[in-house]
This record gives sequence, structure tokens and C-alpha cells, in this order.
Amino acid sequence: MEGKKLTKQQSKDPFEAAFEEEQQQQQQQQQHQDDDYDSPPASPAPPPPPLPNIISNSESIPNPPPEENDDGDDDNTVLPVVISGDPSSSSSLSAVPANSTAPSLPSSSRGAHKTHRDDNEEEEEEEHMEVELDKFPSSADPDKMAKMQAILSQFTEEQMSRYESFRRAGFQKSNMKRLLTSITGTQKISIPMTIVVSGIAKIFVGELVETARIVMSERKESGPVRPCHIREAYRRLKLEGKVPKRSVPRLFR
Amino acid sequence: MNPSAVASSKQKAGASQPSETSYKRKRGVFQKELQHMMYGFGDDPNPLPESVALMEDIVVEYVTDLVHKAQDIGSKRGKLSVEDFLYLIRKDYPKLNRCTELLSMNEELKQARKAFETDEEKLRKAFEADEDQKLTSTE
Repeated sequence: MEGKKLTKQQSKDPFEAAFEEEQQQQQQQQQHQDDDYDSPPASPAPPPPPLPNIISNSESIPNPPPEENDDGDDDNTVLPVVISGDPSSSSSLSAVPANSTAPSLPSSSRGAHKTHRDDNEEEEEEEHMEVELDKFPSSADPDKMAKMQAILSQFTEEQMSRYESFRRAGFQKSNMKRLLTSITGTQKISIPMTIVVSGIAKIFVGELVETARIVMSERKESGPVRPCHIREAYRRLKLEGKVPKRSVPRLFR
Repeated sequence: MNPSAVASSKQKAGASQPSETSYKRKRGVFQKELQHMMYGFGDDPNPLPESVALMEDIVVEYVTDLVHKAQDIGSKRGKLSVEDFLYLIRKDYPKLNRCTELLSMNEELKQARKAFETDEEKLRKAFEADEDQKLTSTE
């Protein structure tokens, strides 16, 4: 992996080079539109050697998707296999993946998804970069990465698009910052704080949607998730204690 | 269902009041991102708009409660800090691990960007020195 990367990085932006390498690692079942990455940028500077392979793509920092129904405590710090997961994105900085226009796909494979998913899925909410580090120093696990690759290679197209959405979706940093400022009043909100809160919120959304899906399967319903399912899911999460309780009851809703 | 709003009207961004001092909360702030997120987590490729709206309300309420709790904790120090949040979610392992991962990645990115910039600086200086040399030699 590294050798390939280094030779490519001669004339390219490190981000593009790393991304291109990612693309090659991607499974060939996806259509690649790699050509956009082949043109070297104007900058002549070769990337410095100590640079980790960073891909700037769009938003999120990937989150290790659970493999084999492993539970949340397990290895969440392992950096997932670099998957920018976006076979069809043509611009390295496009914020929205092509799946915004994805056709409505049958819900049959959703069941398969659920077994892959876990509560620790989240994505990073950096609005401008999706960063995938190839080798995260302390938590790199080639074993896990190999497992991830094996799983990803067998994804159907719908699964891949869903996974891509999962990785890339995230709250806009600016919106989150605005929200946080309005809540706290006049406090200055640091960037790490928006990152953390966005990450927490994303996991929370994930928990809600997954619980809502469970509710739906219990009621033997199908189709898009409806508000009643979300409300029931919210109620269950409250019972589990995952939702912070207000010390003062909210009045005049 | 408006958490902290007096009246929540559908205001487009860039409306009259800045959000810091306004009590009105714009709706649909997170709509686009939430749609992708919900799809990624298992919903339909096109989630129902009312589901998205409800989800946004819930998320805003969740963040609000979280921040209030963090403020209670951090008030001793006077400022709100990241550690307050980490303390709040300490029992929730997925969130905790994810946040530590995000923070360390952020750090790495910062280091990488710094290294990149200093290298570019060096190269540019070397380049300019070269140019100067050439100019003086050809005169």
C-alpha cells in the first residue's frame, strides 16, 4: 500500500493521491470515476513523507462499522478501513454524494444491513473533509482492515450506497456551532467542541433510527420510518437512560 | 414542539435576527444532512419529511439538554469545555470511543497540515533562492 502511494505522490496533492489510492483499493464492482483525480494540481510541492495518508473528501471521518455484530465497546478507536466509500463521486470536495438522487431501493436488504450495524456507528461531522487515515498509529489493526475489506467487497450496490451515506453524512459544523452558541448564550464554541457534539448527535440519530426499525419489525410494518416509530424509539431510549433528562420539566411546549 | 423558541416560524437562513440573540429557531436547519444520515442508518432512501422534522426536533432537544448538563458541570470552571461532554457520555461506550477517536484524528490532521505548510514554505524559499541565483548569474 505504502509503496504505491509514495510513487503516486510525486506530482499530486497528497489528498488527491491518497484518495486515488483509496479508489484503487475499492472493490471493482463500483464504477470508478478516477479520471478526475489523475490530473495533477498546480502545486509542485511533493507531500512531506511524514504525512499520513489523508484523503479529503467530504465530510465525515469514518467510523468503524461493526463487524459481525460485535458490540459497541469493542475497538471503536480502530480506524476503519479507509473507505471513502464513494465510488460515484466525481469531485474530491463535493459535499453530497451521488446517492442523494438514489432511486428508492427495495427494503429487502435492510435486514441484512441491520446485522452489520451496531450502536457505535457514527460519522464525523467535519464539514469540509472526510478524512481516512490509512494507518492510524496506535490503533491500526490490519486484521480488522482486512476484515472490513472482505465485508465491503461483498456489498451489493444498495448496501454500498447506504454505507457511503452512513460514512459521509454529518452535521454541518457551522449549523452546529450556531446552535451551540444559541444554547450557551455568548460563549465561544471551539472547533473540537462542535466536532464532539456533532459526533454525539450523529450516534444518537443512529440509535434512534435503529430502534425505530426494531419497533417497525415488531409491529411488522415496512416502508419508510414514520414519526410514530421514532416516538416509540425515543421513549424506549429514554427508559434505557440514553437521553439526558431535564432537571426542570419543560413547560408550555 | 419547540424546545426553546417562543415562536418557531419557517425562516430562511439570513433572516432578520442573528441566531445568537433571536429566540426563534429556524426549522429545517439540519434537514439535508439528516436525510442522508437517516438513510445511512437504515431508513428509506427518501425519508418522510415529517420523520426528518421530528428527528431534527429531537436532536436539537437532545443537544440542548446535553449542553445544559455540561454547563452545570463546567460552571465550576467557568467555561464550557470538551471534557465536560466527555464526562457526560462516559457511560455510553460507543459515543465515548467515537469522540476520543474523532478528537485524536483532529489532532493528527492538525499536525499533518502544519507539517505540510512548513515543508511548502521551505520549498518555496529554496525555489526563490534558486531563482535569485540564476538572475544574478545571468547578469
